[in-house]
Amino acid sequence: MAQARINPIRVKDIGKPAEVLSPVNLQELAPLPPPFDKDDPAKLWKELAAERRQEVEASLDGVSALSLKRPSSPEEEKKLLEGFVAGLKKLLSTENNWTFLQPLTLSLEHCTHCQTCAEACPIFVGSGRNEIYRPSYRADVLRRLAARYGNGANPLKAALTGSVDLNWNTFARLAELAHRCTLCRRCTQACPIGVDNGLISHELRKLFSQELGIAAQECHRTGSMQQLKVGSSTGMPPAVVKDNIEFIDEEMSEKVGFKIETPWDKAGADVLLIHNAGEILSWPENPGAFAIMLEMAGISWTLSSDIAGYDAVNYGLWYDDFQLARVALKHAEIAKKLGVKKVVIGECGHAHKALTVIADRIFSQEYNIPRESCLTLMEDIVMSGRLKFLPERNDFPVTLHDPCNMVRAMGIVMPQRRILHKIAPRFREMTPHGVENYCCGGGSGFAIMNPNNFASWKYLVAGRVKLKQILDAFEGELDPSIPKYLCAPCSNCKGQFRDLFRAYNVFERTNLLYGGLVELIVNATEGVPEGFLEWEFH
Amino acid sequence: MGFLHVWAYVTLAGFVLGCAYKAIKYATMPMHLRWELYPVAHERGKASYGGSYFEEVNWWTKPRESSKFGEIKVILEEVLTLKQVHEHNPGMWVPSLLFHYGLYLLFAMGAALLAGGMAVAVGFRPLTFLAGGTLMSVWGALGLGLGTVGTLLLLFRRLGQAELRRSSSPADFVHLWLFLILFAASWGSFVTFDRSYAQAGNFLAGLMRGEAVSPGSGWFMAQVGILGLFLIYMPWSHMAHMFTKYFTWHSVRWEDLPNLPGTGIEKKAQKLLMLPVSWSAPHIRGDGRKTWVDVAREGGE
Ligand code: SF4
Ligand code: SF4
Repeated sequence: MAQARINPIRVKDIGKPAEVLSPVNLQELAPLPPPFDKDDPAKLWKELAAERRQEVEASLDGVSALSLKRPSSPEEEKKLLEGFVAGLKKLLSTENNWTFLQPLTLSLEHCTHCQTCAEACPIFVGSGRNEIYRPSYRADVLRRLAARYGNGANPLKAALTGSVDLNWNTFARLAELAHRCTLCRRCTQACPIGVDNGLISHELRKLFSQELGIAAQECHRTGSMQQLKVGSSTGMPPAVVKDNIEFIDEEMSEKVGFKIETPWDKAGADVLLIHNAGEILSWPENPGAFAIMLEMAGISWTLSSDIAGYDAVNYGLWYDDFQLARVALKHAEIAKKLGVKKVVIGECGHAHKALTVIADRIFSQEYNIPRESCLTLMEDIVMSGRLKFLPERNDFPVTLHDPCNMVRAMGIVMPQRRILHKIAPRFREMTPHGVENYCCGGGSGFAIMNPNNFASWKYLVAGRVKLKQILDAFEGELDPSIPKYLCAPCSNCKGQFRDLFRAYNVFERTNLLYGGLVELIVNATEGVPEGFLEWEFH
Repeated sequence: MGFLHVWAYVTLAGFVLGCAYKAIKYATMPMHLRWELYPVAHERGKASYGGSYFEEVNWWTKPRESSKFGEIKVILEEVLTLKQVHEHNPGMWVPSLLFHYGLYLLFAMGAALLAGGMAVAVGFRPLTFLAGGTLMSVWGALGLGLGTVGTLLLLFRRLGQAELRRSSSPADFVHLWLFLILFAASWGSFVTFDRSYAQAGNFLAGLMRGEAVSPGSGWFMAQVGILGLFLIYMPWSHMAHMFTKYFTWHSVRWEDLPNLPGTGIEKKAQKLLMLPVSWSAPHIRGDGRKTWVDVAREGGE
């Protein structure tokens, strides 16, 4: 009979029988500032129903992100474990993993377990320091398995690294544990050695996906696969996206009083703009504001209606090098076909990193069309004098969220700040900010993942430190009589803030609205009638 | 020539070859996809706040301003002040700093004695102020003192703090015990026999000349024996971070070279993209013949 939980937890316990290895402890969660400190976390917690627990694996922390089914026979289990070992060997080989072999090997071989990284991790801290969320915990499980089963494994290495059993518990919990890290790499930034626990989560996800076909279905089946087949992870085929943009154009034209018409597939345009297609459905004012700004600034631009050309997302970044490459190649082919001067990525952090940085080295000359952030283009427009601004229209407290992928992973820190200093007179920073920011808690796919009770884990644990940080930025101004704005220039972060704010009723209780950067720009642009920004939570 | 001399040769050679093997292994690994993390220390004018060349509109048309000095400054700061530990793990800072400074001093002394030994071997006169003077006594005692106190504090911390103990690997303890035993033997040798490190200098000079200088004391033998064990093991342990940090920081964290004409990246990538793939998932079906390019050009399942 498996015990209910194991306490205290050590690395080797990952394989031990226990109903739940280390449940989310609602009493230990990091405190939130008033008035949220009085909230009962149990109200947000969703316990997995007993029947569902029979169906899917949730023995790590009582949460299931992957809906992983237990093997139906010892043979199936054996096959999965053998697959894991085969995948581990491939992960450590040049042929199958040249893409990250050097950083991975360095990270596996040099952790001193000093725990300098632990307090940097918002998930570890937010959870009340649950041992399994310690940045080094999952890395150590992989380290120990590699010392036992990887290439060059030997008994001395295994003994010095520490023990862990490879069994179904280890397999299933490790797959889940790879999805309790947002890949924000804040821990990496703190590590004195340069060990990258975020990378280890990334590589673990790759092992499961590339060898065993196990991945979050929102990222893979309805994510990157759907994008490659239908055109977008939202499920919108080209005809639908065109309809939707036409509708947005009409609405924007009405708002500004002159005609806004988004150009499609304009060969030879200076700029191919690619939005995260989720904006078109969830925050249409964002692509609408882009169209207004670009038209008013006289930029030669276009959208693409090719498959994947109107959706900048690239979920492969989070779990699979091949899916990453497939989507990135599509984007590059479209840019080449249109003969644009550059690709500009809309307000979407992971799309920025995927296309500009991570896929950079797989593009050969003709496909290597320059790619840049919308933030720099916007700064150029705002600072160039091409548009005039009425900053008093944004005369409410504004703070800025730094999307990890644009800031910590790309070093785009100042353009968005210089813009805000120009158009938002009551802009203030969060603490910490810039490259030291905290992740929104929706990184690495979490923003789009809500299976089973995973959403409640996101609200209570993953987004906790960020929520505190946002509220702290408006200390003394949380009263709902003061409208205030969280500027988050990233679709995934916005998705997380929408859900997080809903869960805690943040908008109703504090009148804190979240939104993008381009909306603030257009709201303050001379020539656009007052009230572009509608103070409505959605 | 006794066992100790052979052991000294073997372990010194093992250390050098082990370090070289590791360094070559990392240096010759294939180019990886970009995975930099900001701040990138060589970004001139931007490193202080973590900015990058991506902050410029049409960044590919602008000259990249890179500063080696920026990297050296950050690495030196890290090595000399353990800045990251100070900022993020203050309780660990003093023990770690003492420990590291002890090692820096002892390592420097070992290098000086070795260099002195080599100099004597090729005919120079012994530098008595180095091999026989008070300087060496103070230097050695300081190194041993800081190292011992640091090791003890680190060990107490690791044993005493439940979370730290639980998240440690067996190797973490082995290393600290090994250091303690090494320092104990070194103190024994220092106090009873070789306070000026003259014997250590002679012994090393003898090794350099191929002569078997008698160790002269059991403590001294123990010191050489354990130091040898340590030297031969170090490159294979996480302690190799003393030189592999170059790769983790310079070759990963700060490796932000864009794929632009003239960088040679495209050529390297084209070779790597032709490597065969054997990942088995249904959306890849690598058969060991299909290449990365083949798989990337397929649509998946
Ligand atoms: S990852 Fe780095 S900071 Fe974290 S425990 Fe390991 S060595 Fe220390
Ligand atoms: S990458 Fe981020 S979420 Fe993952 S362990 Fe590190 S700090 Fe925590």
